[in-house]
Amino acid sequence: MNWAAEIDELHRRRRLSEACGGPTAVARHHAAGKLTVRERIDALLDADSFREVGKLAGRGSYDAHGVLAAFEPAPYVMGLGRIDGRPVAIGGEDYTIRAGTGFGSDRRKGGQGGFIEDLAHAYRLPLINLVDGTGGSVDTARRKGYTVVPGYGQDGFERSVDLLGIVPVVCAVMGTTAGGPAMRAILSHWSIMVKGQAQIFAAGPPVVERAFGVKLDKDELGGSQIAVDTAGSIDNAAEDEADCLRQIRRFLSYLPQNVWEMPPPVVCADPVDRCDDALAEIVPRSSRQAYDMRKLLGMVVDRDSLFELQPTFGRAIITAFARMNGKPIGIVASNPMVGGIVDARAARKQGHFVELCDTFHLPIVFFADVPGLMVGVASESEAILREGVRARYIGLQVSVPVFSVIVRKCYGVAGGGFIDRGGLNFKIAWPSAQWGSLPVEGGVKAAYRREIEAADDPARREQEIESELRRLASPFRTAEAFAIEDLIDPRETRPYLCQFIDALQGRLRSDLGPKSKVGVRP
Amino acid sequence: MARIEIKSDITGTLWQLRSKVGDQVEAGATLMVIESMKMEIPVITEDAGVILELLVSETQPVAEGQVVAVIDG
Repeated sequence: MNWAAEIDELHRRRRLSEACGGPTAVARHHAAGKLTVRERIDALLDADSFREVGKLAGRGSYDAHGVLAAFEPAPYVMGLGRIDGRPVAIGGEDYTIRAGTGFGSDRRKGGQGGFIEDLAHAYRLPLINLVDGTGGSVDTARRKGYTVVPGYGQDGFERSVDLLGIVPVVCAVMGTTAGGPAMRAILSHWSIMVKGQAQIFAAGPPVVERAFGVKLDKDELGGSQIAVDTAGSIDNAAEDEADCLRQIRRFLSYLPQNVWEMPPPVVCADPVDRCDDALAEIVPRSSRQAYDMRKLLGMVVDRDSLFELQPTFGRAIITAFARMNGKPIGIVASNPMVGGIVDARAARKQGHFVELCDTFHLPIVFFADVPGLMVGVASESEAILREGVRARYIGLQVSVPVFSVIVRKCYGVAGGGFIDRGGLNFKIAWPSAQWGSLPVEGGVKAAYRREIEAADDPARREQEIESELRRLASPFRTAEAFAIEDLIDPRETRPYLCQFIDALQGRLRSDLGPKSKVGVRP
Repeated sequence: MARIEIKSDITGTLWQLRSKVGDQVEAGATLMVIESMKMEIPVITEDAGVILELLVSETQPVAEGQVVAVIDG
């Protein structure tokens, strides 16, 4: 072989890269309960599907004879792989090498723009970022000899923004993350972090202590309780790394490779005509009482197909992917266990999810039991009106087919957000359904004040008006007037929806491509 | 055993106490019910344990995130 020496050298250098930051750094990383980026990539992808790109990138130092004396691999590993047989672009910081910070290469490998993001863009592949880097350092100034404006050179994020309109982007926060890598994590369709092991913040505890004199540990500042449950900055939390990687595979299984392709169907083993009897009993007669909407959804969608996004944030609304007769759909459902009352966080979650479904051509099914927007000073201070109206604005711009299943309450501005006015305006109701501008109990006194006050027995008159309005509120009367498209036996919900979702696949196919949006959101 | 704080998910009024100090409760038990916008919202413990403190009484207003009970679980 003419090139034997060079080929041996190439393989030697590949082995040097596979050693990550060296045995000591790797042992320390493992001791902290973390996998290396290479182990993560192998665990996430289909077996033996990783084709690494740029494995020889790094910092070499040479002896007097020009022979490589030492080598530090680039702190970012990336390439092409497969998940469930479909190609994906994947990359992640190698924390064992200078905590995954940049290394001044000619072209960035990934992480904040770079080759892997360009690949995802050029080939229209889903992008997965396994974020485990600490971002910029003031040391850059010493290295460069000058300071730089944020977003300089390779760190512009322009490509990261483009990707959000065309391919699924998933970011997983695997360690302590701030600055650029933290921004990268947020610039995604869906993000996840590992409980106890990952933290994310604009700036870490030392900066906060210097600014405010408050000592916090990194979990108190940016652990999953803050970032996922309280702020919704990151969507889901994982129990450990294995759970995190499992959830990434699951999330991607509902989405197409890009916006020009159909969401991938699976073979459905669950009978389409399954009519669960428990659906006829799940809603309590008292409209004040709670019930388990997740259980209800589980009886309607394909068995075990429900995957919830942001399950611990904005809990008045449940947002989930699921399948009906094997076809992916998006679900927005009220959560009666917390009253179903839409607060600012729930409205924000709804808007984001509806936009996600619309972008990737998943039909949306609403399950409404919504008494209204949250009232009160705290809620008004969180801009409930703006957030509630924004969710409706986003809903009115979608072009995928939308269904509304009115399970129980559907009132006011929040209720309107569960109804599709931009498309077919297809509403089916259960016999437990009730709707209006506001519930009868709250509205009678305000609407009939004069009449009530003028009566001999005002309390009795109020009750009379209330019971008259209640009779008119029967969903059967609305169905007679065809002001609701159908009133169904709750047990029929699954076969009913499955048939329409099967039928609309042609519409989805004829409507593929990026969504253009105009206007300014309120 | 750990001291576990149970918080209200929602702003409202305490409508009904369903437990008392000293009760042994299972995971998933409803400790009390809060009324908000005419809805009854159960306060559920995710952990089993013994109720150490109940920090609100019936008809009292409750804020979202307010600690309403403490259990030893």
